[in-house]
Amino acid sequence: MDSIVTCRGVTKTFGTGELAVNALSNVDLDILQGDFATLAGPSGSGKTTLLNMVGALDHPSAGDVTVDGQSLGELKPAQLSDLRLRKIGFVFQSYNLIPVMSACENIEFVLELQGIAKSARRERSLEALRDVGLEGLEHRRPAAMSGGQQQRVAVARALVSRPAIVLADEPTANLDSKSAGELIDLMLNLNAEHGTTFLIGTHDSRVLERSRRQINMRDGEIESDTRH
Amino acid sequence: MAWRNVWRNPRRTVISLFVVSVGLWSILFFNALLNGWIQSSKDAALKLLTQDGQIHAVGFMDDPNVETLMKPPSGALLQALNTNVIEDWSTRIAVPSVVQSEYKTLPITLMGVDPENERRISTIPGDVDRGRYLESPDDYGVILGKHLVERLKTDLGRRVIIMSQNLDGTMSEWSFDVVGVFDSDQGVEDFYVFTGLAVSQEFLGLDDEIAQIVVTLPDHAELNPSIDTLKAAAPDLDVRSWKELNLFLAMTDDFMGVYIFVWLGIVFSMMAIGIVNTQLMAVFERTQEFGLLRALGMKPRRVLLMVSIESAILIGVGVLVGIVLAVLSIWALQGGIDLTVYARALEMVQAGSIIYVDYHPDGIVQYSLIIWILGILVALWPARRASKCSPQEAMRRDT
Repeated sequence: MDSIVTCRGVTKTFGTGELAVNALSNVDLDILQGDFATLAGPSGSGKTTLLNMVGALDHPSAGDVTVDGQSLGELKPAQLSDLRLRKIGFVFQSYNLIPVMSACENIEFVLELQGIAKSARRERSLEALRDVGLEGLEHRRPAAMSGGQQQRVAVARALVSRPAIVLADEPTANLDSKSAGELIDLMLNLNAEHGTTFLIGTHDSRVLERSRRQINMRDGEIESDTRH
Repeated sequence: MAWRNVWRNPRRTVISLFVVSVGLWSILFFNALLNGWIQSSKDAALKLLTQDGQIHAVGFMDDPNVETLMKPPSGALLQALNTNVIEDWSTRIAVPSVVQSEYKTLPITLMGVDPENERRISTIPGDVDRGRYLESPDDYGVILGKHLVERLKTDLGRRVIIMSQNLDGTMSEWSFDVVGVFDSDQGVEDFYVFTGLAVSQEFLGLDDEIAQIVVTLPDHAELNPSIDTLKAAAPDLDVRSWKELNLFLAMTDDFMGVYIFVWLGIVFSMMAIGIVNTQLMAVFERTQEFGLLRALGMKPRRVLLMVSIESAILIGVGVLVGIVLAVLSIWALQGGIDLTVYARALEMVQAGSIIYVDYHPDGIVQYSLIIWILGILVALWPARRASKCSPQEAMRRDT
């Protein structure tokens, strides 16, 4: 299977001199098309730093990250923005929906950035909402939705542009058990039905138990990489 | 989206709108008031005797006497006076004289005027509150100022003696009937006495000589070109605009023009502080959101544009509210601000006793655009900060 993400010798150092901290040390990793992988490990193990590198949100101090065949180190800031827009979907712990927009508009916004025509945007947004089980809630604003519903909108937003990979950082951390379970089901279904690749940073046992590939990190290094 | 973002924090938005609208209102309203004040001062001073410009024989302004007079306009000057750059004109005699009553002798300037012309160009005929104004250039009566009448202890219907040096160097001394008393600027009341033009020429032993030609203009903005036209038509005469004849008023006029820009600068500085503060607060509050937008793929330039559009809308609404407030305030004072109780004090600064607000629609548009554009420019700073938000902010955990 093709690699969607390739990390080779990725190192990230924060600070300099005696205060320098290695958040990532020489990480090698391949995320394959259709993977439903989790990054596990205690706080400070480097999960979020690695997600930032893969998501083109930060540059490695050394090494190289490739997303869908494009080496991020070769890209300029505007090109990185474009890559994030077209190839990467993000799901955040705190949903990060735009409060002044309805559910549908939040999803449409990504397509608007891509320059897609209004009618097509609306159609694809409604379809994405249907995929995450929120049909009929398109006009609701985030404040009028539960945490679980908001996170589903965030998933729909991440998927609507049909990205090469969806990166999720602690997506269930703010959800109750029922909502978390439903969200995991949803992501697994999308992975199975559409072949969407997921890389999820989490230490939530409910997610870890159901992941198909578990990458354990400790002190900025990959401790183990297990497929179930 | 920008409109919704503007109203995300209604209290802050209202504060911003208040700052912009009150700032612009103060600029527009005080501009109208100052323009009204300037216009009132000009009307009060210029429509008495100065008018928009005067022509004299060379030397008359330095030593006004019967020997420095000139012939009535003819040739090129007469043609120039009758073109459309000149609204109206008249000729006058003005010579130093003394007026004598049974009780007192006082120095005055004797003005020989054509009453018909004066009614069109001067406010003095309308200021006659007792008796009548002169009826023709051959009217042998005199018009005295109210304060002069009090000082001379004379009155309407009585006679006064006027003395002046005539053309052959001897003193002319005639007795005149007081046919009218005018109530105007005290300086004019005290020092000017009016009689018919032909009578004054006869009194001074003149043929048709005159002391001055006074002109009014149809367009005050065209003062200098009009005066230049007259200068070209009368190169041997002393042609002056009101700005050269009334230096105090000219200085006030220039100062007011500068003052409005000083006021604009002060108000705008205060507005800029308010706009930058509130917009910076808005940007700081939304740091995570801007990070999200960047993470989702929005380019910094577009973030800058989005925040700038929000500022443009916010300041634009403030500008519209400011315009409405200013127009309402100006409309409410269309009847003029009556300062009659301070009339004598206002005379000292050459202002009229009723100040009419004077606004120009193009001025309102101009100042509003200046405020709007400058507001957007200062709001670029917070917008630039927003565009520089790191996308990692969005990934940062709240817990």
